[in-house]
Amino acid sequence: MFGGLERTPRTLLVCDRSSFLDEKNRLSSQVEQLHFNYKVSMLLPECSSAPSHLEAVLNSIDSFYLIRKLPIHELLDKHFLETAVHQGRVSGLSYGTRIDEDNCVALMPNGHLSLSLDKDSFEVLGVEGKPSRFNQRSNSRFVVSVDLTDSAMAPGGRGYQRLVTGLRSRLQLKTDFLLSHPPGGGASLQALLSRYDWSEHRPEIRSHALKDLSCPLLTSDLQSCDPHRLLEWLGAVDAHVSCENSSSSFLSSLVCPEPKTRMSRALSVSVCGLLRPQDVHRLIQQIRCYLDQPLVENWASLTVHGFVDSPVSWGGEEHGVLKGGDHFYSLLMFHDHTYQLHLAAGAHDTCPP
Amino acid sequence: MAVFMDLNVGFSAERSRMTSLIETAAHLGFSTVAVNYVFEPTAQKKPEIPTPTPIRELIDPLPVVQGRSRPIRVLNRLTVVMSDSSHFRPNAAEYRGFDLLAVQPTTEKLFHAACMLYDVDIICISVTEKLPFFFKRAPVNGAVDRGVVFEVSYSAAIRDSTRRRYTIANAVSLMESCKGKNVILSSAAEKPLELRGPYDITNLGLLFGLSEAGTKEAVSSTCRSVVLHAETRKSASGIVYTMKSCSESSGQQGAPPDCRSSGQQGALPDCRSSGQQGALPDCRSSGQQGALPDCRSSGQQGAPPDSGEGAPAAKRAKPHLTSD
Repeated sequence: MFGGLERTPRTLLVCDRSSFLDEKNRLSSQVEQLHFNYKVSMLLPECSSAPSHLEAVLNSIDSFYLIRKLPIHELLDKHFLETAVHQGRVSGLSYGTRIDEDNCVALMPNGHLSLSLDKDSFEVLGVEGKPSRFNQRSNSRFVVSVDLTDSAMAPGGRGYQRLVTGLRSRLQLKTDFLLSHPPGGGASLQALLSRYDWSEHRPEIRSHALKDLSCPLLTSDLQSCDPHRLLEWLGAVDAHVSCENSSSSFLSSLVCPEPKTRMSRALSVSVCGLLRPQDVHRLIQQIRCYLDQPLVENWASLTVHGFVDSPVSWGGEEHGVLKGGDHFYSLLMFHDHTYQLHLAAGAHDTCPP
Repeated sequence: MAVFMDLNVGFSAERSRMTSLIETAAHLGFSTVAVNYVFEPTAQKKPEIPTPTPIRELIDPLPVVQGRSRPIRVLNRLTVVMSDSSHFRPNAAEYRGFDLLAVQPTTEKLFHAACMLYDVDIICISVTEKLPFFFKRAPVNGAVDRGVVFEVSYSAAIRDSTRRRYTIANAVSLMESCKGKNVILSSAAEKPLELRGPYDITNLGLLFGLSEAGTKEAVSSTCRSVVLHAETRKSASGIVYTMKSCSESSGQQGAPPDCRSSGQQGALPDCRSSGQQGALPDCRSSGQQGALPDCRSSGQQGAPPDSGEGAPAAKRAKPHLTSD
């Protein structure tokens, strides 16, 4: 009975090594599949201030909207479907809802609407759905997944009517909703936004210059550093946790993995908000340009975190929270255009791509 | 999964302490708490069963749960500490003011009776002393079949190290008999500092011998089952409710309480699985998620029949799962 105490909850880590110059590298599809990104944090060694191009890209990331108490049947409104969803330009996520307690909603750019409902809500809604993969003894969570671009869900069709009636009169699901800014201006959303209380937010950018940092010796050859220790160290740097492990401090016993070296300065930049895969691609391009310059250190890292309470993870697969719902990936880029990619997920998650 | 609940928060007469307790619980992430009134009759003196204070007098307005957008829901609960079988009077009128009914047996005979016969929702396992009896499979399985849950409270473990040993020992022996089913974990907190967050209690459950999923259920789904079971006690098998309406004419429409003995309460968490799957949500006025909490927080004592909605009670209609 107590054997379980030694085991920590299951986690998954997928490690991938390739080069940007290789045509068959899957990086762009792996980045593309995580639709909802909460935070991107970058670590640039031997750098004291952000390069101007990187700063420009960070400032040009689109803002996003937060709509308070949006009834979810509005996402099935005909006008909204035609102008935003069918063009494949908008994505959104419910806000202030916990995936293991409440009903959560995600609208993906490919037109899939995913509702993660608890048992009572699912039974009241009355639409076909599947029990969650992560249910244990009893079915307490259900997932309703609808393809809004499918012909069966065209406005006026039976499936569409049933879902709209369910959301409008039977379940009346209302949550705060984060909506991404569609490319080409927010005109298509104006009709929807004008009916509800909304606010526009810019992603929050934070930048921290670190001094005298001990860091592992990272080279692009095989197994230079154990992935778990490396990710732990990157997380400690991002959270501003000291890795000195001095005997007088009881707060943290995290250490920098061996073999290590000392850096006189480094820059940690993070941006938080509702970020899309396109934004992540642009940031990766900028860091590659930065690494191309001759006078810099050998490597740079970029870590992307997904939303803990998102109902979907990579590729629209279901995501849940057992004790923690982190799903993230960490890209370590080198001067010679090679990279190491580590994708991690928690207990209630499917394997990352 | 269901929302996190803490079904045992100790009542105290000081309003400021209750306010800070409920605010701390909302801040930690609990969506429902139950204020526990302990009733301990002894042979010498026969105290009165306490009447629950209206929630509005304890705390007003209800704080919003951290991370969600709903206010916390506060229920009333009565725990009867029994040392003799006459202490618990079945169908006493005073019990109607409480949403949840719990009993704490102190002898083996009383434990057996509580598991098999008594109409309660929760059986408390004492954590302040070494258990005078062992748990036998038969009454424990009987209780599981009826939908009664066992409760282990953890704040005694925070207060005192001897009680920590008793808590863990008693909890482990309970888990061996019941295999982790129908267990809830709750604080019996008297001060805000004795409350712990739901994920911390999930970890504590591992020490008691529950599995990872089982311990998370103990704080969420099983608590939801208890609250639903308690609601069925006030109605006929959870299908037919009586509600006071604005006009006097609608009156009682429910079947008499005796029909409950036809065993319809079933095994929880599917207490509604007697085929009428749509019934209970409908009684919450057309499926609105917030309906029951809303009618509670309108200052009533927490008993659903007094919602005054004016609608006739027998809402068996519209089982939504049939495909059109």
